[in-house]
Amino acid sequence: MDMETSEPTGAETDSYRRLNRKCMLSMYITNGITYTILLAAFILLLIFVPALRESTFSIVTILAAAGMVLLLVYFIVGPRIYYDRYRYMITADKVDVRYGIIILRHILVPIERVHQVEVSRGPVNNMLGLANVNITTAGGVATISYLEIDEAEKIVERLTELINSMLRDRE
Amino acid sequence: MSEQGLRLHPIIIVENTIRTAIGLLVLIFVAGVPLDIPILAAIAAVALVVLLVFYYRQWKLTFVRFGETDIVVERKTLFKLKKTIPYSRIASVNLNRGVLNRLSGTSKLMVNINSGHNAVRPEASLTFEQHLADRFRNDMSRHIYRGEMPSFEETEQMVRFTTMDVILHGLFSVSTQQTIIGGFFLLNSIVDQYRITVGEADAGPGGTFISLLLFFIFLVLPAVRHMIYYYGFKVHRQGDTIFLEHGLIRTYKTSFRISRINAIRVKNTLASRLLRRSSIEAEVVGIGSDDGSGTTRPLISLLANDAKTQSLLQELVPEFIYERQAEKQPAGARRVLITEGVIASAILIAVAAYPSLLAYDAFSGTGDGIIGALLPYAIPIVTALVVAAIAYSVSVSLKVREVDTGEELFTFVNGILDREAVIMSYDNVQMVHVVRGPLARHFDVSSAQVFLLSSMGKSMISSGLFPEDRLEKIGNIVMERAAAMKH
Repeated sequence: MDMETSEPTGAETDSYRRLNRKCMLSMYITNGITYTILLAAFILLLIFVPALRESTFSIVTILAAAGMVLLLVYFIVGPRIYYDRYRYMITADKVDVRYGIIILRHILVPIERVHQVEVSRGPVNNMLGLANVNITTAGGVATISYLEIDEAEKIVERLTELINSMLRDRE
Repeated sequence: MSEQGLRLHPIIIVENTIRTAIGLLVLIFVAGVPLDIPILAAIAAVALVVLLVFYYRQWKLTFVRFGETDIVVERKTLFKLKKTIPYSRIASVNLNRGVLNRLSGTSKLMVNINSGHNAVRPEASLTFEQHLADRFRNDMSRHIYRGEMPSFEETEQMVRFTTMDVILHGLFSVSTQQTIIGGFFLLNSIVDQYRITVGEADAGPGGTFISLLLFFIFLVLPAVRHMIYYYGFKVHRQGDTIFLEHGLIRTYKTSFRISRINAIRVKNTLASRLLRRSSIEAEVVGIGSDDGSGTTRPLISLLANDAKTQSLLQELVPEFIYERQAEKQPAGARRVLITEGVIASAILIAVAAYPSLLAYDAFSGTGDGIIGALLPYAIPIVTALVVAAIAYSVSVSLKVREVDTGEELFTFVNGILDREAVIMSYDNVQMVHVVRGPLARHFDVSSAQVFLLSSMGKSMISSGLFPEDRLEKIGNIVMERAAAMKH
């Protein structure tokens, strides 16, 4: 897929923009925490449920262990692919986001349909100075993830401005 | 009307009390609380008095004001509420009459706003004497539609459905999956009863009864519910408004403007397809009703033969008719579907192999009836059926799924057993996703997900697998039209 990309210069662009590399760190930290919790749960199950160690359930245990290994690979490789593929573009008419690790998604949201825009920050993103922009339409929510906070604020400001001017025009 | 506003009809005290009392009884029954009859009666009496006092106070302190620009519903109880509904935001005002309403000569006025949030419930549900409810509905309609809205009785009825149409709709509109499951339980109960009758098997603890009950739950109840809900179905269009009227026990009078329709679905089940009958649903926002019976997505035609369906589409929603040039899925889609089918079947067989052996050992020689005889082989049989279903769905998907992009409308045709053609307007699309999995990427196809505002809040309609540029075109047209409208 050939796509023109450029460095961030403002909230509205005519070409696709990429995420900050810090997004990978945020994903690695989140994935690390998730994996640690899952691994701990798996080990605790093996310790406290003796039946899982019996031959009858060995196939289940082996499948679960294989699943854990695959998940680890996904958690290690995924952030890099996500970063490489993520592109977003905001024009006066639309929000356009392309992303995906295994399944690729191209999201198009007409600015006309946007009802609400908000910035959200989880603890990990907060620590790294990143934020998500959630764009709500009557039919669902589209998210631009792992933006730098300034960039996220600019996007929200710009989208709010576009929506307000659109509403003024309607009146 | 006092300065504070109008009070609702006091029948709502009885209605709310009965509803809450039934809820409490179900809760006590489900929780299995062991209580003696006298204690239970005493608790019920006290609860009834408390509920009556509570709902009396709520009724006494709730007021409705119909202003020039909005309706205000104000509740001055401990949990205060003041809800202002501007007429400009109202999508529809409909009337419902349940048994209590009929006995008390009242109607329930359902006010719905055009919002995905809380779409399945009305914004306000107001009970008044029937003549008052009719008057308020007409007054509100004047504000909403900026003109006199004709009543149901005054307008010429365009299409009438007979009681036989309602019965056929009830019988054949139940989903094919439910029909198959219900049919299986009916067959099982018949075989069980036969074996008991000829002495081949003992009467177990409710085996036949449970199968029969499941048959009723899966097949008979939904069919009967549809028959009751759509009894006396009438539909007509006057100007830009569609009027619906139906219902046996509770009567429904619904109206909505054509501009509120986001999509039209022409649907049929396997059984109805064999009878060459289809029904038409409209995806309309803001027609929720809080009685919980039937679907809140309005049908504008019961199952009718193809000619009648086409004529109804022409008469009721010509805005959703265009010259279609449908496109079937390409060769890439065939490869994706076959590869996915083979992979899914292989995984299923591998996963089911070991449990099949365990199940055979565990259930050999146990149980009666079809279920008893099949239990040891249940997993291999189910696996084989699922593999056959996968093969069938791949083959049917290639024949059925279509996409078609017109100038103002576009259509997705989907479904394996039960099928539907969804005709959508670009101008009502909220968001478009074009999705490509690893296999789809390899074979150069994608699928699209279109997000609409719907009767249920929001809905996502997926396409089959088509070339990416074909589906990207939908998003591009949506953007172009949205930009053109803005400027």
